[in-house]
Amino acid sequence: MLRGSGKHSGTDYSFEGIVDGDGGSGVAAEAELLAFADAAVVMDERLGEYRGHVVDRLGHEAMIDAAAVIAGFDAITRVADGSGIPLEAPKAEATAEWRNRLGIDAFWSMKS
Amino acid sequence: MAALDTAWRGIGAPGVWLTGAQQVKIIEEARAARACGLCHARKDALSPTAIEGQHAAVTGLPLALVEAIHRIVTDPGRLSEAWYRRVIAMGISDEAYVELLSVVAMATAVDTFDRAIGGRQRAVPPAREGEPSRRRPRGARPGLGWMPMLAPEDVAPDDPPLYESGGRIGGNVHRALSLVPEAMMRFWDMFETMYLPQEAMRDFAHEYRAIDHAQIEMLAARVAVKNQCVY
Repeated sequence: MLRGSGKHSGTDYSFEGIVDGDGGSGVAAEAELLAFADAAVVMDERLGEYRGHVVDRLGHEAMIDAAAVIAGFDAITRVADGSGIPLEAPKAEATAEWRNRLGIDAFWSMKS
Repeated sequence: MAALDTAWRGIGAPGVWLTGAQQVKIIEEARAARACGLCHARKDALSPTAIEGQHAAVTGLPLALVEAIHRIVTDPGRLSEAWYRRVIAMGISDEAYVELLSVVAMATAVDTFDRAIGGRQRAVPPAREGEPSRRRPRGARPGLGWMPMLAPEDVAPDDPPLYESGGRIGGNVHRALSLVPEAMMRFWDMFETMYLPQEAMRDFAHEYRAIDHAQIEMLAARVAVKNQCVY
Protein backbone atom coordinates (compact mmCIF):
# COMPACT_ATOMS: atom_id res chain seq x y z
CA MET A 1 0.00 0.00 0.00
CA LEU A 2 2.90 2.37 0.70
CA ARG A 3 4.15 1.74 -2.82
CA GLY A 4 0.68 2.53 -4.15
CA SER A 5 0.60 5.75 -2.19
CA GLY A 6 4.05 6.67 -3.50
CA LYS A 7 3.03 5.90 -7.05
CA HIS A 8 0.07 8.25 -6.74
CA SER A 9 2.10 11.10 -5.27
CA GLY A 10 5.19 10.49 -7.39
CA THR A 11 7.29 9.81 -4.31
CA ASP A 12 9.71 6.91 -4.07
CA TYR A 13 9.30 5.83 -0.47
CA SER A 14 12.03 3.64 0.98
CA PHE A 15 11.16 0.59 3.07
CA GLU A 16 14.64 0.12 4.53
CA GLY A 17 14.26 2.88 7.08
CA ILE A 18 10.89 1.57 8.17
CA VAL A 19 12.12 -1.97 8.66
CA ASP A 20 15.30 -1.07 10.54
CA GLY A 21 13.76 1.98 12.21
CA ASP A 22 16.61 4.24 11.16
CA GLY A 23 14.53 6.52 8.98
CA GLY A 24 14.99 7.75 5.44
CA SER A 25 11.67 6.50 4.14
CA GLY A 26 10.65 9.89 2.76
CA VAL A 27 7.37 9.88 4.70
CA ALA A 28 6.51 13.16 6.44
CA ALA A 29 7.05 13.25 10.22
CA GLU A 30 8.66 9.83 9.96
CA ALA A 31 10.90 10.15 13.04
CA GLU A 32 8.08 11.23 15.34
CA LEU A 33 5.66 8.60 14.09
CA LEU A 34 8.10 5.67 14.14
CA ALA A 35 9.26 6.47 17.67
CA PHE A 36 5.61 6.72 18.77
CA ALA A 37 4.75 3.37 17.17
CA ASP A 38 7.74 1.57 18.64
CA ALA A 39 7.10 2.93 22.12
CA ALA A 40 3.40 2.06 22.01
CA VAL A 41 3.97 -1.53 20.90
CA VAL A 42 6.86 -2.39 23.23
CA MET A 43 5.54 -0.34 26.18
CA ASP A 44 8.55 1.97 26.27
CA GLU A 45 8.49 4.28 29.29
CA ARG A 46 9.22 7.22 26.96
CA LEU A 47 5.86 6.77 25.22
CA GLY A 48 4.50 10.01 26.73
CA GLU A 49 7.48 11.96 25.42
CA TYR A 50 7.09 10.52 21.90
CA ARG A 51 3.34 11.12 21.98
CA GLY A 52 4.08 14.77 22.73
CA HIS A 53 6.44 14.99 19.76
CA VAL A 54 3.68 13.73 17.44
CA VAL A 55 1.22 16.26 18.87
CA ASP A 56 3.76 19.08 18.50
CA ARG A 57 4.52 18.16 14.90
CA LEU A 58 1.14 17.02 13.55
CA GLY A 59 -1.53 17.94 16.10
CA HIS A 60 -3.72 16.10 18.57
CA GLU A 61 -6.10 14.62 16.00
CA ALA A 62 -3.20 13.14 14.05
CA MET A 63 -1.83 11.59 17.23
CA ILE A 64 -5.20 9.94 17.88
CA ASP A 65 -5.39 8.64 14.30
CA ALA A 66 -1.81 7.36 14.50
CA ALA A 67 -2.59 5.60 17.78
CA ALA A 68 -5.60 3.93 16.16
CA VAL A 69 -3.52 2.62 13.25
CA ILE A 70 -0.77 1.39 15.58
CA ALA A 71 -3.27 -0.37 17.84
CA GLY A 72 -5.21 -1.83 14.93
CA PHE A 73 -2.08 -3.35 13.45
CA ASP A 74 -0.88 -4.56 16.84
CA ALA A 75 -4.10 -6.58 16.76
CA ILE A 76 -4.35 -7.70 13.15
CA THR A 77 -0.79 -9.00 13.06
CA ARG A 78 -1.88 -11.40 15.83
CA VAL A 79 -4.90 -12.47 13.78
CA ALA A 80 -2.66 -13.19 10.79
CA ASP A 81 0.08 -14.95 12.75
CA GLY A 82 -2.36 -16.82 14.97
CA SER A 83 -4.32 -18.32 12.10
CA GLY A 84 -1.55 -19.45 9.76
CA ILE A 85 -2.86 -17.64 6.69
CA PRO A 86 -0.34 -17.44 3.85
CA LEU A 87 0.43 -14.33 1.86
CA GLU A 88 -1.62 -14.37 -1.37
CA ALA A 89 0.45 -15.64 -4.30
CA PRO A 90 0.29 -12.43 -6.38
CA LYS A 91 1.35 -10.36 -3.36
CA ALA A 92 4.14 -12.79 -2.53
CA GLU A 93 5.41 -12.65 -6.09
CA ALA A 94 5.18 -8.86 -6.32
CA THR A 95 7.06 -8.35 -3.07
CA ALA A 96 9.54 -11.24 -3.22
CA GLU A 97 12.62 -9.19 -4.04
CA TRP A 98 12.28 -6.54 -1.38
CA ARG A 99 11.00 -8.96 1.27
CA ASN A 100 14.17 -10.96 0.82
CA ARG A 101 16.36 -7.86 0.67
CA LEU A 102 14.87 -6.39 3.83
CA GLY A 103 15.09 -9.63 5.77
CA ILE A 104 11.34 -10.03 6.22
CA ASP A 105 11.41 -13.58 4.88
CA ALA A 106 13.76 -14.49 7.71
CA PHE A 107 10.77 -14.22 10.07
CA TRP A 108 9.55 -17.57 8.64
CA SER A 109 12.58 -19.43 9.97
CA MET A 110 11.95 -18.18 13.51
CA LYS A 111 8.61 -19.96 13.85
CA SER A 112 8.39 -22.97 16.13
CA MET B 1 -13.67 6.17 19.72
CA ALA B 2 -17.13 4.63 19.67
CA ALA B 3 -16.12 1.50 17.75
CA LEU B 4 -13.71 0.53 20.50
CA ASP B 5 -16.36 1.03 23.18
CA THR B 6 -18.77 -1.13 21.21
CA ALA B 7 -16.19 -3.86 20.66
CA TRP B 8 -15.20 -3.79 24.31
CA ARG B 9 -18.75 -4.09 25.63
CA GLY B 10 -19.46 -6.88 23.14
CA ILE B 11 -16.73 -9.06 24.58
CA GLY B 12 -18.82 -9.56 27.71
CA ALA B 13 -21.74 -11.01 25.78
CA PRO B 14 -22.10 -14.76 25.17
CA GLY B 15 -20.18 -15.69 22.04
CA VAL B 16 -20.59 -18.49 19.54
CA TRP B 17 -18.27 -20.97 21.27
CA LEU B 18 -17.29 -19.15 24.48
CA THR B 19 -19.39 -17.72 27.29
CA GLY B 20 -19.25 -14.06 28.21
CA ALA B 21 -17.42 -14.98 31.40
CA GLN B 22 -14.77 -16.94 29.46
CA GLN B 23 -14.22 -14.03 27.09
CA VAL B 24 -13.78 -11.59 29.96
CA LYS B 25 -11.26 -13.98 31.51
CA ILE B 26 -9.42 -14.04 28.20
CA ILE B 27 -8.94 -10.27 28.48
CA GLU B 28 -7.62 -10.67 32.04
CA GLU B 29 -5.28 -13.47 30.96
CA ALA B 30 -4.06 -11.48 27.95
CA ARG B 31 -3.13 -8.61 30.25
CA ALA B 32 -1.41 -10.94 32.72
CA ALA B 33 0.64 -12.53 29.94
CA ARG B 34 2.74 -9.37 29.64
CA ALA B 35 4.20 -10.09 33.08
CA CYS B 36 4.52 -13.88 32.71
CA GLY B 37 8.02 -15.12 33.51
CA LEU B 38 7.70 -18.17 31.27
CA CYS B 39 6.64 -15.99 28.36
CA HIS B 40 9.60 -13.65 28.93
CA ALA B 41 12.00 -16.59 29.01
CA ARG B 42 10.52 -18.07 25.85
CA LYS B 43 10.58 -14.74 24.07
CA ASP B 44 14.29 -14.42 24.83
CA ALA B 45 15.09 -18.00 23.79
CA LEU B 46 16.28 -18.98 20.35
CA SER B 47 13.45 -21.49 20.27
CA PRO B 48 10.42 -21.00 22.54
CA THR B 49 9.83 -24.76 22.69
CA ALA B 50 13.18 -25.22 24.44
CA ILE B 51 11.86 -23.54 27.59
CA GLU B 52 9.51 -25.46 29.87
CA GLY B 53 7.56 -24.19 32.84
CA GLN B 54 4.23 -22.85 33.93
CA HIS B 55 2.53 -19.68 32.84
CA ALA B 56 1.75 -17.08 35.50
CA ALA B 57 -1.95 -17.57 34.91
CA VAL B 58 -4.52 -15.50 36.80
CA THR B 59 -7.91 -16.76 35.69
CA GLY B 60 -8.35 -20.50 36.14
CA LEU B 61 -8.94 -20.95 32.41
CA PRO B 62 -7.92 -24.37 31.05
CA LEU B 63 -4.24 -24.78 30.23
CA ALA B 64 -4.87 -24.95 26.47
CA LEU B 65 -6.52 -21.52 26.53
CA VAL B 66 -3.83 -20.05 28.77
CA GLU B 67 -1.05 -21.30 26.48
CA ALA B 68 -2.85 -19.93 23.42
CA ILE B 69 -3.52 -16.53 24.99
CA HIS B 70 -0.02 -16.06 26.40
CA ARG B 71 1.79 -16.99 23.18
CA ILE B 72 -0.50 -14.92 20.94
CA VAL B 73 0.08 -11.91 23.18
CA THR B 74 3.81 -12.22 23.84
CA ASP B 75 5.36 -13.94 20.81
CA PRO B 76 2.93 -13.87 17.87
CA GLY B 77 5.59 -13.75 15.17
CA ARG B 78 6.93 -17.21 16.05
CA LEU B 79 3.63 -19.09 16.21
CA SER B 80 3.61 -22.12 13.94
CA GLU B 81 1.23 -24.81 12.76
CA ALA B 82 3.05 -27.32 14.99
CA TRP B 83 2.36 -25.09 17.99
CA TYR B 84 -1.28 -24.75 16.94
CA ARG B 85 -1.68 -28.55 16.69
CA ARG B 86 -0.21 -28.94 20.18
CA VAL B 87 -2.65 -26.41 21.61
CA ILE B 88 -5.62 -28.11 19.95
CA ALA B 89 -4.43 -31.48 21.29
CA MET B 90 -4.42 -29.96 24.79
CA GLY B 91 -8.18 -29.59 24.57
CA ILE B 92 -9.62 -26.65 22.66
CA SER B 93 -11.66 -26.84 19.46
CA ASP B 94 -10.74 -25.02 16.26
CA GLU B 95 -13.85 -22.90 16.67
CA ALA B 96 -13.18 -21.90 20.28
CA TYR B 97 -9.56 -21.10 19.37
CA VAL B 98 -10.70 -18.75 16.59
CA GLU B 99 -13.08 -16.96 18.92
CA LEU B 100 -10.30 -16.72 21.53
CA LEU B 101 -7.97 -15.28 18.88
CA SER B 102 -10.53 -12.60 18.03
CA VAL B 103 -10.93 -11.65 21.69
CA VAL B 104 -7.17 -11.45 22.26
CA ALA B 105 -6.85 -9.31 19.14
CA MET B 106 -9.61 -6.93 20.21
CA ALA B 107 -8.20 -6.67 23.73
CA THR B 108 -4.78 -5.92 22.24
CA ALA B 109 -6.24 -3.21 20.02
CA VAL B 110 -8.11 -1.53 22.86
CA ASP B 111 -5.26 -1.70 25.37
CA THR B 112 -2.63 -0.54 22.86
CA PHE B 113 -4.83 2.37 21.79
CA ASP B 114 -5.58 3.47 25.34
CA ARG B 115 -1.89 3.24 26.25
CA ALA B 116 -0.80 5.12 23.11
CA ILE B 117 -3.09 8.10 23.70
CA GLY B 118 -2.17 8.26 27.38
CA GLY B 119 -5.47 6.89 28.65
CA ARG B 120 -6.01 4.56 31.57
CA GLN B 121 -6.43 0.85 31.02
CA ARG B 122 -10.18 0.35 31.00
CA ALA B 123 -12.00 -2.02 33.33
CA VAL B 124 -12.98 -5.38 31.89
CA PRO B 125 -16.54 -5.40 30.56
CA PRO B 126 -19.20 -7.11 32.69
CA ALA B 127 -19.84 -10.71 31.69
CA ARG B 128 -23.42 -11.37 30.65
CA GLU B 129 -25.28 -14.60 31.26
CA GLY B 130 -26.20 -16.89 28.40
CA GLU B 131 -25.07 -19.89 26.45
CA PRO B 132 -22.88 -19.78 23.32
CA SER B 133 -24.87 -20.41 20.15
CA ARG B 134 -22.36 -23.00 18.83
CA ARG B 135 -23.17 -22.57 15.17
CA ARG B 136 -20.46 -23.58 12.70
CA PRO B 137 -20.74 -22.48 9.05
CA ARG B 138 -21.31 -25.61 6.96
CA GLY B 139 -19.19 -24.35 4.07
CA ALA B 140 -15.99 -23.91 6.10
CA ARG B 141 -13.17 -25.93 4.56
CA PRO B 142 -9.59 -26.72 5.56
CA GLY B 143 -6.63 -25.81 3.40
CA LEU B 144 -5.82 -22.12 3.65
CA GLY B 145 -4.64 -21.66 7.23
CA TRP B 146 -4.32 -23.88 10.27
CA MET B 147 -8.06 -24.27 10.77
CA PRO B 148 -11.01 -24.51 8.35
CA MET B 149 -12.08 -21.18 6.88
CA LEU B 150 -15.17 -19.92 5.06
CA ALA B 151 -14.53 -18.56 1.58
CA PRO B 152 -16.91 -15.94 0.14
CA GLU B 153 -18.19 -18.43 -2.43
CA ASP B 154 -19.06 -20.93 0.32
CA VAL B 155 -21.18 -18.57 2.43
CA ALA B 156 -24.69 -20.00 2.77
CA PRO B 157 -27.86 -17.88 2.93
CA ASP B 158 -28.23 -18.61 6.63
CA ASP B 159 -24.62 -17.64 7.46
CA PRO B 160 -23.94 -14.16 8.86
CA PRO B 161 -23.07 -11.71 6.02
CA LEU B 162 -19.40 -11.61 6.89
CA TYR B 163 -18.12 -10.30 3.55
CA GLU B 164 -20.91 -7.85 2.77
CA SER B 165 -19.68 -4.63 4.36
CA GLY B 166 -16.58 -2.49 4.25
CA GLY B 167 -15.63 -3.82 0.82
CA ARG B 168 -14.35 -7.03 2.41
CA ILE B 169 -13.12 -8.84 -0.64
CA GLY B 170 -12.28 -12.14 0.99
CA GLY B 171 -8.52 -11.73 1.11
CA ASN B 172 -6.73 -14.22 3.28
CA VAL B 173 -6.64 -11.85 6.23
CA HIS B 174 -10.43 -11.45 5.98
CA ARG B 175 -10.80 -15.23 6.02
CA ALA B 176 -8.55 -15.75 9.04
CA LEU B 177 -11.41 -15.59 11.58
CA SER B 178 -14.15 -16.79 9.22
CA LEU B 179 -14.73 -20.13 10.97
CA VAL B 180 -16.64 -17.99 13.47
CA PRO B 181 -18.30 -15.39 11.24
CA GLU B 182 -19.65 -13.36 14.13
CA ALA B 183 -16.15 -13.03 15.60
CA MET B 184 -14.76 -12.07 12.20
CA MET B 185 -17.39 -9.35 11.75
CA ARG B 186 -16.92 -8.00 15.26
CA PHE B 187 -13.16 -7.73 14.78
CA TRP B 188 -13.36 -6.14 11.35
CA ASP B 189 -16.07 -3.65 12.34
CA MET B 190 -13.60 -2.40 14.94
CA PHE B 191 -10.45 -2.68 12.82
CA GLU B 192 -11.81 -0.78 9.83
CA THR B 193 -12.58 2.26 11.99
CA MET B 194 -9.02 2.19 13.34
CA TYR B 195 -7.35 1.76 9.95
CA LEU B 196 -9.38 2.30 6.78
CA PRO B 197 -12.24 0.50 5.05
CA GLN B 198 -11.19 -1.48 1.96
CA GLU B 199 -12.36 1.18 -0.54
CA ALA B 200 -10.47 3.95 1.25
CA MET B 201 -7.24 1.96 1.44
CA ARG B 202 -6.61 2.31 -2.27
CA ASP B 203 -8.26 5.69 -2.76
CA PHE B 204 -5.00 7.61 -2.78
CA ALA B 205 -6.68 10.71 -4.21
CA HIS B 206 -8.47 11.36 -0.92
CA GLU B 207 -7.31 11.47 2.67
CA TYR B 208 -9.67 10.14 5.32
CA ARG B 209 -7.64 10.76 8.47
CA ALA B 210 -5.52 13.50 10.02
CA ILE B 211 -2.50 11.49 8.85
CA ASP B 212 -2.10 10.68 5.17
CA HIS B 213 -2.02 7.35 3.36
CA ALA B 214 1.77 7.17 3.38
CA GLN B 215 1.94 7.85 7.12
CA ILE B 216 -0.76 5.26 7.80
CA GLU B 217 1.02 2.61 5.73
CA MET B 218 4.39 3.43 7.29
CA LEU B 219 2.92 2.91 10.77
CA ALA B 220 1.24 -0.33 9.67
CA ALA B 221 4.50 -1.65 8.23
CA ARG B 222 6.48 -0.67 11.30
CA VAL B 223 4.11 -2.41 13.71
CA ALA B 224 4.17 -5.51 11.50
CA VAL B 225 7.96 -5.51 11.67
CA LYS B 226 7.97 -5.06 15.45
CA ASN B 227 5.65 -8.07 15.73
CA GLN B 228 7.67 -10.05 13.14
CA CYS B 229 4.54 -10.52 11.07
CA VAL B 230 5.23 -12.12 7.71
CA TYR B 231 1.76 -11.42 6.32
